[in-house]
Amino acid sequence: MSTALVAKDYKSELKPIWCPGCGDYGVVSAIYRALARIGRAPHDIAFVSGIGCSSRIPGYTTAYGFNSVHGRALPIAQGIKLANPDLLVLVAGGDGDGFSIGGGHVAHAIRRNIDLTYIVMDNQIYGLTKGQLSPTSKRGLKTVSSAFGSMEAPVNPLLYVLSYGAGYVAQGTPADMDALANIIEEAIRFPGFAFVNVQSPCVTYGEADTQIKAHKETMESLEKLGHNPADWLKATDLAQDYGNKLYTGVFYQNPNPAPTFEAAAKERHHALRGTGFPKENILEMFRP
Amino acid sequence: MKEIMRSDLVIGMAGSGGDGIVSAGEFLITAVALEGYHAIMTKSFGPQIRGGESSCRLRVSTEKVLNPGGTLDVAVALNWEDFLRFGAELPVGGNTIVIYDSRTGVAPDKLPLEGVKPAVVIPVPIGEIARKAAATDRAKNAVILGLLAGWFGIAPEAILAGLRKKLAKKGAEVFEANQRAFDAGIEYTHEHPISADCRMSPAVDEKGSKLLTDGNDMCAAAALFAGCQFFGGYPITPSSEVMHTLSREIWRYGGTLMQAEDEIAGIGAVVGASFAGKKALTATSGPGMSLKTEILGLATIAEIPLVCLNVQRGGPSTGIPTKSEQSDLFQAVFSGHGDCARPVLAPITVADAFGITVEAFNISEHYQTPVIILSDQDIGHRKETVDPIDTSKYKIVDRRRPSEKELQHYIRFRITETGISPMSQPGMPGGNYLASGIEHNEAGAPTAKGEIHARMNDKRLRKLNPLKSRRDLYYIEGEADAPLALISWGSVAGVAMEARRLAQAEGIKAKLLVPKILFPVSEEIYQEFLASVSMGIVVEQSHQGQLHRLIRMYVNVPRGMESLAKSGSNPILAIEVLERLRALLRSLQRQRAKEPAHDGG
Repeated sequence: MSTALVAKDYKSELKPIWCPGCGDYGVVSAIYRALARIGRAPHDIAFVSGIGCSSRIPGYTTAYGFNSVHGRALPIAQGIKLANPDLLVLVAGGDGDGFSIGGGHVAHAIRRNIDLTYIVMDNQIYGLTKGQLSPTSKRGLKTVSSAFGSMEAPVNPLLYVLSYGAGYVAQGTPADMDALANIIEEAIRFPGFAFVNVQSPCVTYGEADTQIKAHKETMESLEKLGHNPADWLKATDLAQDYGNKLYTGVFYQNPNPAPTFEAAAKERHHALRGTGFPKENILEMFRP
Repeated sequence: MKEIMRSDLVIGMAGSGGDGIVSAGEFLITAVALEGYHAIMTKSFGPQIRGGESSCRLRVSTEKVLNPGGTLDVAVALNWEDFLRFGAELPVGGNTIVIYDSRTGVAPDKLPLEGVKPAVVIPVPIGEIARKAAATDRAKNAVILGLLAGWFGIAPEAILAGLRKKLAKKGAEVFEANQRAFDAGIEYTHEHPISADCRMSPAVDEKGSKLLTDGNDMCAAAALFAGCQFFGGYPITPSSEVMHTLSREIWRYGGTLMQAEDEIAGIGAVVGASFAGKKALTATSGPGMSLKTEILGLATIAEIPLVCLNVQRGGPSTGIPTKSEQSDLFQAVFSGHGDCARPVLAPITVADAFGITVEAFNISEHYQTPVIILSDQDIGHRKETVDPIDTSKYKIVDRRRPSEKELQHYIRFRITETGISPMSQPGMPGGNYLASGIEHNEAGAPTAKGEIHARMNDKRLRKLNPLKSRRDLYYIEGEADAPLALISWGSVAGVAMEARRLAQAEGIKAKLLVPKILFPVSEEIYQEFLASVSMGIVVEQSHQGQLHRLIRMYVNVPRGMESLAKSGSNPILAIEVLERLRALLRSLQRQRAKEPAHDGG
């Protein structure tokens, strides 16, 4: 009889390249814990990422991993899930990957509602390329690419995905590992596209107010605030504080999840299977 | 009087959108296909989405049709302005029979054609006949069908059957009105006979033996035959019909289609689906191909099979979206950063698109590589009769998957003798690995070590070498010792083929090589072909003569091998290729006259 899977069964032998103290260590640990609780075998999991420090994450798990190209994790993950809906498909990356170069894919992955869990490690900076502005950087932030300060407003990932229609939207921080593991687990269990924004500090290029220590002091649990995750309007209200307040927990969870693309595809397959010409005679479709 | 019949007829028609010129062409080709003729029909439109000018060319023959033909035998103009907009696409010559709507107010001896005096010019009150017979201008195309059936003997019953079938949905009244217009057209030809040598000979092949389709649909069907289970793509002219057909058909075979938000997501999803174990296709053109380039590189380094169909159009950038060109060869072969190589295939006819597409899937699976199919707008959109294809002759190749034993100590990118490593997929216990765009070692772990990078590059490039021995992907005709040669590819190959056969009929010894695999370039096969050659022409539809240049990168091409290359939307005609061959022969003879004789005792 096989023994129950534990967190370390999902941890690979590859040694992370992340800086000591990087928030992403916490994220990957929370993922190990969430996966162990769900209990799917690593070979039934596909974990896709783009490019960036955080996008190294699939390699640190024992799942089938795909460390792809910058910004394109979501399209690849959707292809995987549609090709084999039985797989558990995780997608992860940074704020640049998800809301800058790959920003165009987020809305469509959400409206397609393919059952994926998308974890963004949001650190408001480009770490891998050594400290440039990211799409979530605050206005006025001075970096190597904004010597006199950013002149752009940051995007609000939470508000974006809520308005795109995501069925599950949550935020966490490695400053509260239990809560982070919980929302990742819930996101995976949610039947449809689920989004988790993780405030994951960059210890090398990040500002002081984005570090774990600051998180511990400022974070506020949505659950303790009495927020009802079924209340979408209230969720959008709370999400507007992105960048000012660090709310953790579930902003929104659709109590009546919409049908997924793959479920609709399954129905179509069922309805149409066998209605085509046999393959060997497929060219009969061109009989004038 | 002796009745001479034609075995080959090229008809060109033009009118405004709404005149139904293209549907007239569709009816005609359906009718002749049912009768057992060989035929090709090309359509051409102005840049407008609706309305504007439209035209079609139909070549009907009792023999295999190699290309859409050159100068028209019959030209039909509903109005001259529209007709003339198609310029070289509808060339009128001294032997053309011109039929036009007399309402255009143009006198038969004052046609707006520069420097051409057509053999026969017939003004016909086409609009008037339509209105009289069917009480609507919209029946003009049925009148034209009647005229063509009457004067050229093109299958009246079959045309009528086609009209009935097509108009069934619109009710009996609509069909009857069209039938009256069609009959009135025929009647007009009885009242106004023209010389009998215009009539088509009866078809040689059996009635009902032909299939009829275009290159895009053929690629879609072939993909399903090859086992394609996923399509991801974005609408773009002239490739969209591949997605249209698959959106109707792929589900019947258990596959899934995703219309992506952009070209990148389309091929991204295809990479994902293939990583997960399914054969997958994307189709695109022009700018779409440029956008897909980065992910093609990813598929190369991550060794993921996929097929990317590029239905070429005029470029660069938006270029000429509705016209054919062969100018994406360099891009197909060389695009992408890094030491990146991928097989490139090109069909030469609609029928050929079947085998080439199946082959593209087979190669992609066997070698675990992206494969590009370079079709073009001409093949993609032209309707062509297709002789029955024995599908049992085509074998289907699946990627090599790891055995139970190999999964015990699985190494995804293991360096093997062939460079091909067994490929696992999610769901397979023990096969877990990291696919990546970052350079990796044999186990899949990221690396920046030069030595490993060199070894992996070597593996990925070396594995494609056996493709250089695929003689079945090179079409050769003509005598092996011919001193003159033609090399051509894709849709233009049919023009070169006809030119060579015309040359042979004149006693000019020329041979033809058509590579259906453009990359990797087989030095050996080209070198062998060129051994007897002193002069020749590489015929292609790109301004730079891309194939001519590509071959010279790899092969010692004789200096007498010239380029006949034209930008897209400028038809290359068999007659001009023939003229070049005649000129080459003359200079070859002059050259030989100067040289002392080598042979003999």
